[in-house]
Amino acid sequence: MEEIYDRLIAGPLHRFSDRVMEFLPNLISAALIFFLGFVAGWLVKIVLQKFFAVIRLDRFSERNGITAVLLKSGLQEPFSRILARFAGGFVVFVFFLAALNSLEFGIIQDLIERLFRYLPNFLTALAILILAYMLGNFLGRTALIAAVNAGMRISGLIGNAVKYLIYLLGISMALEQLGIGRDTVLVSFGIIFSGVVLALAIAFGLGGKDVAREFLERRLGEKSREDDIHHL
Amino acid sequence: MNNVTKREDIQKWIAHVKEADILVGIPSYNNAGTIGHVVRAVQAGLAKYFPDRKAVLVNSDGGSTDGTTEQVGEAVIEDFKSILLHHRVKPLFKLATPYHGIPGKGSAFRTIFELASALNVKACAVVDSDLRSITPEWLELLLKPVLTGEFDYVAPLYYRHKYDGTITNSIIYPLTRALYGKRVRQPIGGDFGFSGEIARFYLSKDVWESDVARYGIDIWMTSTAIANGYRVCQSFLGAKIHDAKDPGADLSAMLFQVVGATLDLMEEYADVWRRVRGSETVPSLGFRYAVGLEPVKVNVERMIERFNLGVDDLMDIWREFLSREVTDFLIETRALQAGEFRIPDELWVEIVYGFALAAHRRVMNKEHLLKSLTPLYIGRTASFVLETKESGAEEVEEKIERLCGVFEEKKKFLLDNWG
Repeated sequence: MEEIYDRLIAGPLHRFSDRVMEFLPNLISAALIFFLGFVAGWLVKIVLQKFFAVIRLDRFSERNGITAVLLKSGLQEPFSRILARFAGGFVVFVFFLAALNSLEFGIIQDLIERLFRYLPNFLTALAILILAYMLGNFLGRTALIAAVNAGMRISGLIGNAVKYLIYLLGISMALEQLGIGRDTVLVSFGIIFSGVVLALAIAFGLGGKDVAREFLERRLGEKSREDDIHHL
Repeated sequence: MNNVTKREDIQKWIAHVKEADILVGIPSYNNAGTIGHVVRAVQAGLAKYFPDRKAVLVNSDGGSTDGTTEQVGEAVIEDFKSILLHHRVKPLFKLATPYHGIPGKGSAFRTIFELASALNVKACAVVDSDLRSITPEWLELLLKPVLTGEFDYVAPLYYRHKYDGTITNSIIYPLTRALYGKRVRQPIGGDFGFSGEIARFYLSKDVWESDVARYGIDIWMTSTAIANGYRVCQSFLGAKIHDAKDPGADLSAMLFQVVGATLDLMEEYADVWRRVRGSETVPSLGFRYAVGLEPVKVNVERMIERFNLGVDDLMDIWREFLSREVTDFLIETRALQAGEFRIPDELWVEIVYGFALAAHRRVMNKEHLLKSLTPLYIGRTASFVLETKESGAEEVEEKIERLCGVFEEKKKFLLDNWG
């Protein structure tokens, strides 16, 4: 009877309690890591907010149109606060993964390892997107103003073409980083190449427009449209 | 600093010349057609008015490929007796050298200042190399006020065609006058006289990688002289007629450099101009006489087209810093026919001050901001041409005077919003 009791009840109970005792320190350390993550995330958020205030990040984001885009997307908070929150949340997330890892479940550890291997690609893709957005806005505006000052009627089209071309290039490069669509680099190259050809065509057109106009005016006998004003 | 005086050939030349009383600088870039006349006028002026002064002529060239520097060497007055009773006593030293630094008029001037400093000159003059109306008298008028010790800086005063110097007339003169309170009529005239001391002071400033190294040099020299309390006067030189416009000159780049340098000076000398109210005349020297001017061809329709294109495509940029009233007015103006097209003084002043405040607050990239001013400036020029179509020189001057008054009246708006 005692043997049956040991085998059917006491034995499994002992083994269960042993496993619980074995697992409990991991669980406690996981909880502790998770809690520390919250504290670290909060600290990172506070420190970054102060740092961003010192370097006047919001002024920079206003100048570069980031604030305008955030407002259009329904985000009313300043860019610095959003970025600080994101960084804080990211720290909490990393600590959460570390906490899960400390539980020493094989499947979870494997998943976390894969996730960590993928994370640099994700962050690089994010950086590429942000950079492409800023560069697109800047160069789009440069092209727009230059085209207006050159008297081109399709200035708006040129400005938008430059802007969206850079956006498109950024998106395709980000996708390439994430491993989605391996052929996108090839396509991007095609886009860049076409863009360069277009830019050269425009540059050639602008450079030769005076010659062309003079030629046409001579041929058609029109009055010259230039003026002699010395502006300085 | 990459100083031209460190070059071996220049050091030899300086050792040969040792010291000089006067230095006349001529910046150039592909001006073979006109520089010979300018050099001969300078030679004659120095011989006629400063025969007993040791003088140096420096051509600071930007890498001309049309034989400009050769022209400087070859330009001589064959028969001095035809223009002078007495021949020059002291020799004239000539130097044609390429300047260093970023390409531009300012870098050419820097080389001139460096040589002036190395030779310890008492007075300097700089004259443009594309002038066709320069006479020997210009040298006396630019140098004598400095050599007599009465003034430190001599700005030019010319008769110009009513449509010539439109950046000067619509922005730089009224703005500089309202800011610093001195009525220097041609602050970016290009032909100046100044003391060796000012040349050394200019050299001490770290501005040679900025717009000052390009077209911003003229306004920088004048404003720096005024803001630092140097004694400034202006000399009447007669007519200013220069070579045909360089077709490669980009208006928006020119406007950006000149206005950009003016706005940078506003930052540097904010403590000076914020104290100034109203304006006063500066002493004017020289005998005034009427001169004939060459006609200037203008194409108002094309200017209005450029303005309209700007309103169509750049309005989103302007809305970021110009008031609602201004942008609404610009949209209304866009719909007007050529005959009715006007940009009034009050609106123009609000636009200029709006751009100055936007640059101060750094609302966007400075080059974008100031290059977006080009269509508005062209529109204002078209409006000015239409308004003064039938006006004589005196009436045009009165109109510019009125604009200056508005700039001075509205300075309070600038002060209140500067922060």
